[in-house]
Amino acid sequence: MLEEFRRALEMATMRIIDGIANFLPGALVLLVLVVGSLVVALATRYVVLRMLRSLDVDRHAELLGVSALADWSPSRSPSRVIATAAYWSILLLGLLIGLTALDAAVPSRFAMSVFQYLPHLMAAVLTLLVGGMLARFLGRAALIGAVNMGIQSARLMSLAVKWLVLILAAAMALEQVGIGQTILRLAFGIAFGGLVLAVALAVGLGAKDVVGRALERQLREPAPREDKLDHI
Amino acid sequence: MASTGSSFSAAIPDADSARTDIVVGLTSHNDAETIVAVTTAVRASLAGRFAGVASRIVLADAGSTDDTAARARAALEGTGGLIEVATPRAAAELLDMPYHGVQGRARALRAILTTARDLGARACVAIDAGAPTMAPQLVESLTGSILHDDFDFVLPFYRRHPYEGALTKGVVYPVFRSLYGVRIRQPAGGEFACSSRLLPRLLDEDFWDQEGVRVGIDLWLTAAAVSDDFKIAEAALGVRAHRVREGDALDLGTTMSQVVGALFADLESRADTWQRVRGSKPVQRFGELAPASAAQGSVVDPERLMESYRLGYRELRDIWTWVLPPKTIVELGRLINAPAARFQIDDELWARIIYDFALGFRMRVLARDHLLRSLVPLYLGWFASYILQVRDLPPDAVDERVGRLGAAFEAEKPYLIARWRWPERLRT
Repeated sequence: MLEEFRRALEMATMRIIDGIANFLPGALVLLVLVVGSLVVALATRYVVLRMLRSLDVDRHAELLGVSALADWSPSRSPSRVIATAAYWSILLLGLLIGLTALDAAVPSRFAMSVFQYLPHLMAAVLTLLVGGMLARFLGRAALIGAVNMGIQSARLMSLAVKWLVLILAAAMALEQVGIGQTILRLAFGIAFGGLVLAVALAVGLGAKDVVGRALERQLREPAPREDKLDHI
Repeated sequence: MASTGSSFSAAIPDADSARTDIVVGLTSHNDAETIVAVTTAVRASLAGRFAGVASRIVLADAGSTDDTAARARAALEGTGGLIEVATPRAAAELLDMPYHGVQGRARALRAILTTARDLGARACVAIDAGAPTMAPQLVESLTGSILHDDFDFVLPFYRRHPYEGALTKGVVYPVFRSLYGVRIRQPAGGEFACSSRLLPRLLDEDFWDQEGVRVGIDLWLTAAAVSDDFKIAEAALGVRAHRVREGDALDLGTTMSQVVGALFADLESRADTWQRVRGSKPVQRFGELAPASAAQGSVVDPERLMESYRLGYRELRDIWTWVLPPKTIVELGRLINAPAARFQIDDELWARIIYDFALGFRMRVLARDHLLRSLVPLYLGWFASYILQVRDLPPDAVDERVGRLGAAFEAEKPYLIARWRWPERLRT
């Protein structure tokens, strides 16, 4: 019996040692990859930050209107946000590669699905950035144009244009990453459809006489120029 | 048929290509209504005052879709004096948005100057064929001082209503005077005359292919002439007649963006030249200015302009802070609640505002079109201030008032130079 106990103990110990022996190389590779990616991430963050500051990216981002995104970070500096994003991206990448080196099935599949998801994520981020810049540009154009036309609610019009573009950009970004696609389409359909219906009812019922008279005037005679002054 | 040897095609009868003293160039675009009167007046002027002088009329039409060219030919039939120069439109121009000025004018002017150079003309006059009435002495006034008094560049000086041409009086003239040291009242007029000495200089300029030349060509030609050692003069004429073309129906924002944009672009390209200029000199003026009368001009309500200014201050102040220092913003804010009697933008303040916008244009602190359009409420505020000051003044006093504005721009030029050289001081 003692012999059986000893043999069982030996076999269990051997299985544990075998398991550790199989696991250890992978774990060491993981450790090396994580440490290595940490070093690369730190170096990249330093280089990217120096480069962006030398190119005065913070000032240009402020002019283009993308600095609002940096407001979410404590430092409020777009350069620092980009450098930090690069740091964490490299670190996460190293971790994922290390996970595949463990030859663990579930973590490997997870890593592969993350790699497949990355292009969509990047497209969504790009859509948000471009959308933000476009919203600011169009909002400012609408504000200046409305002020020059003497419209008192110029600021309101500008905000409406800006938020419309931002919402569109956000919806496109969410569709890109595959979040809430069905509910997004439904929400847009309902919102815009409702808005158009409300405007049609307001004009058709509430202002039909005014619209009719305006159309009649347009068809009957050309509109006179308000200001005949030659400024040049 | 001899060729002008330029990139523009022209049909010049061989017999007449030998010697020409005067070339009168007409720029046209859908001017069938006025071309006959203009060509007839030009022919009469050449036949009268310059009867013994070899002259040619050049028609540079920028793709008219009516019968402008045919009418011009018919008006000059039998005289053998019309040269038609084709000014082909570039493919890119098909997508052009409307702009202030005559369609294709830059191409037409280049063709006229090239033809004049190739013909060896001593004087070249450029006239807009769209003028509803042409002053009878226009050709004589512009050309005489070139042929007889050895001047190189002559611009017309028209008598205008005090409220007309406010953008020229308030921005273009004083900036031009301050930068180049010449007191030309209407530096971007539609007509001009130049000598054979100046012709190659104008044609060698690199602005012909630049963006913005369509709008800025008249101003840039004048700037090229005054930047070097050429003799400049003005020819006093009558009241300026102006025909409203399709392009003139542009809103003030677009006009501001294009005209002031052309001025600022020229400022940027000739920075080495104007930074060396100090003070200014009057230019020789020939002829007698038409007597001032109670000219029928537009009635402008300064209260409406002030309201536009106040709206602009409320809504665009954040944009203005990109180019204007805090002190200027504070001074502008004091005007918001000022009654009409005390609503006044000082000449020095106005000069600094324009210079700051010029610097903002150069530094591209904003999209340039947005920056220039945001200047409209400030301009309207200045215009209101100007109207309140001149509405009870006689015409000569108005001219003097405009002259003082030019002097203020000159006095503030060191402000512009300092900020131009050290742009990090913008907004401080």
